[in-house]
Amino acid sequence: MWLVFFKEVKELLRDRKTLFFMVALPILVFPLIFGVVAYFSTKAVQQAESKVLEYVLVGGEYAPMLSEALANSDDFSLVKLPEGSDVTQWIKEGRADFALQVPDSYGDDVLTDGQVTLTLYLNDAGLNLVQRRLNAIVDKLSQQNQQQAFLALNLDEKQQIALMNPIVIDKVDVADKRENWGEKIGGFVPYLIFMLCLQGAMIPATDLGAGEKERGTLETLLISPIERHKLVLGKFLTIALAGVTSALVTVCSMAVWGIVLSQGMAIQLVAEFMSAISLLDFILIFFMLIPVVAIFSSLLLSLSIYARSFKEAQGYMTPIFMFTVVPVIMAMLPGVELKGGWAWVPLTNVALAIKELIKGTMDYVQLVAIFGSTALIAALLIGFCVHWFNKEKVLFR
Amino acid sequence: MIDISHLAKKFKVENPKKLSEQERLDPRLNGKYFHSVQDVSLHCHGGEVLGLLGPNGAGKTTTLRMLSTAIKPDAGTVTIGGVDVLNRPVEARKKIGFLSGATGLYGRLTGRENIAYFGQLHGMSATAIEKRIDELSTMLDLESFLDRRCEHFSTGMKQKTAIARAVVHEPQVVILDEPTTGLDIMAAQTVLDFIRTLKDQGVPVIFSTHHLEEVSELCDRVSVINHGTTAFNDSFETFQSLAPGSLNRAFMTALEGVQ
Repeated sequence: MWLVFFKEVKELLRDRKTLFFMVALPILVFPLIFGVVAYFSTKAVQQAESKVLEYVLVGGEYAPMLSEALANSDDFSLVKLPEGSDVTQWIKEGRADFALQVPDSYGDDVLTDGQVTLTLYLNDAGLNLVQRRLNAIVDKLSQQNQQQAFLALNLDEKQQIALMNPIVIDKVDVADKRENWGEKIGGFVPYLIFMLCLQGAMIPATDLGAGEKERGTLETLLISPIERHKLVLGKFLTIALAGVTSALVTVCSMAVWGIVLSQGMAIQLVAEFMSAISLLDFILIFFMLIPVVAIFSSLLLSLSIYARSFKEAQGYMTPIFMFTVVPVIMAMLPGVELKGGWAWVPLTNVALAIKELIKGTMDYVQLVAIFGSTALIAALLIGFCVHWFNKEKVLFR
Repeated sequence: MIDISHLAKKFKVENPKKLSEQERLDPRLNGKYFHSVQDVSLHCHGGEVLGLLGPNGAGKTTTLRMLSTAIKPDAGTVTIGGVDVLNRPVEARKKIGFLSGATGLYGRLTGRENIAYFGQLHGMSATAIEKRIDELSTMLDLESFLDRRCEHFSTGMKQKTAIARAVVHEPQVVILDEPTTGLDIMAAQTVLDFIRTLKDQGVPVIFSTHHLEEVSELCDRVSVINHGTTAFNDSFETFQSLAPGSLNRAFMTALEGVQ
């Protein structure tokens, strides 16, 4: 068995294509994607913030203080609206970034003039920070007017605050930071890990089953004096190792690059979050992955040996991705918890358990059900794989 | 020696309607089953070379696959040195060196590693493997490319490596399925010379071929299979005397024997 295993691993390590997909891709490409996305989004935001916005002011004569404040600001530049043209059309055509319409009822005295509504015309489809930047100016005026009204009414500070928000709800979240974050990312982590395991196992699985058939080495291997189950186990272990390695490499690379890329405040958060998860939890996550990888590997190997060629094998394997998504999505649904029946549903239970472990709310008794059901299915599938390898109908199709 | 008697193998036909007109006319098709090999008997003593002849699809490869224990026969016996091997496939595999028709090598391993892997699978020790590879590489002219990766080999290099791999465990019987097909004349000659070496060592060799000149050069015995049944099984001299002067005609005469 180990003989087959070591030979397969040796062959795998010499295959540049597989290595590229298993190691280089997660190590280099993921951070590259993160980096590129981060770079362009910061650049876009920066551009939107520093751009001088062109504006049209309608009825500016009713609000002299506002028009003066806008005119004095370096961020805005006034554009004249030609007589008789439509404001909406003007903005739509992109001739100005926004238009502000001041009603003729405008007044700075809140108590006599009441609430004032300014109408802002803008194209809100793209990334723009018009409203935020405009608010900076308008809010200042608004506050000035408010203060004047308060003074006129002779209100003290306490009354002022109460008047603005008569009743306030104070929210106290009993979930700690870890549980909160765990709920948010905990559903996504198993999805990612499962897919990566499957992805990493797929290429060697195709090679070890259908590949041997296609190259004509299978027949010779079958008639060598090694018992069939040892042959299957050797191949199975290789595929499982590839799956785990690929997932580990990816997760580690994501963690490392995530910490490197997220600077300042974010690094504090990540580090705090990671340190909250104990080593035991990490080990448990890893151990739960073993039967999952075993399920994937035996399934992939069975399909691969059934296929006549590489191409056929890949065709058979694609649906597995879809079937894997379903139980993981179920784990993300609200109301599905690691209790009772769900603890026995394969893949879903592991996905749920990983989420619970990340949240730090794991019920360790459920581990029995999880390991029990997953290991049982894995064992059955390996058994089936051995049976499959003994069938002439499968081997000499 | 190796003795095969009344070997038979049928395959289930999944969808008889899908078969072509010609396939349906084959007398071996019987209901849901295709009787690929119906009755094949032959024997080969130590130091003898048996040439297995027959048209394409006659059942040669199926017969050889049964001999190699890759597939199980439905009926018949195979004895090697008087021991019935069908019930003990793992033991039989140690006695047989088999080279299948469309054999391949692990492209990412070197020639030496390919041979050594099968030596290890046969339970040989590292020193024994090394000694045997040295021996075989002299015999088959492998030295110049033995430590290169197989994916860059020419067809002839691959076939020679595959033969070395098939006999690494010093088998008691060697079975070769069309060992010279697709090789250039020099590579084919190396293979034939190797068969002669085995013969001199007293190892019985069974090989299937379509080249009658190879048969006349090497074979002591000839066995002709047609439609899964042995049509001729006797010495080369008897085969030759079926139609003096032309081996091709002798072959045609042998085929007619069963029809």
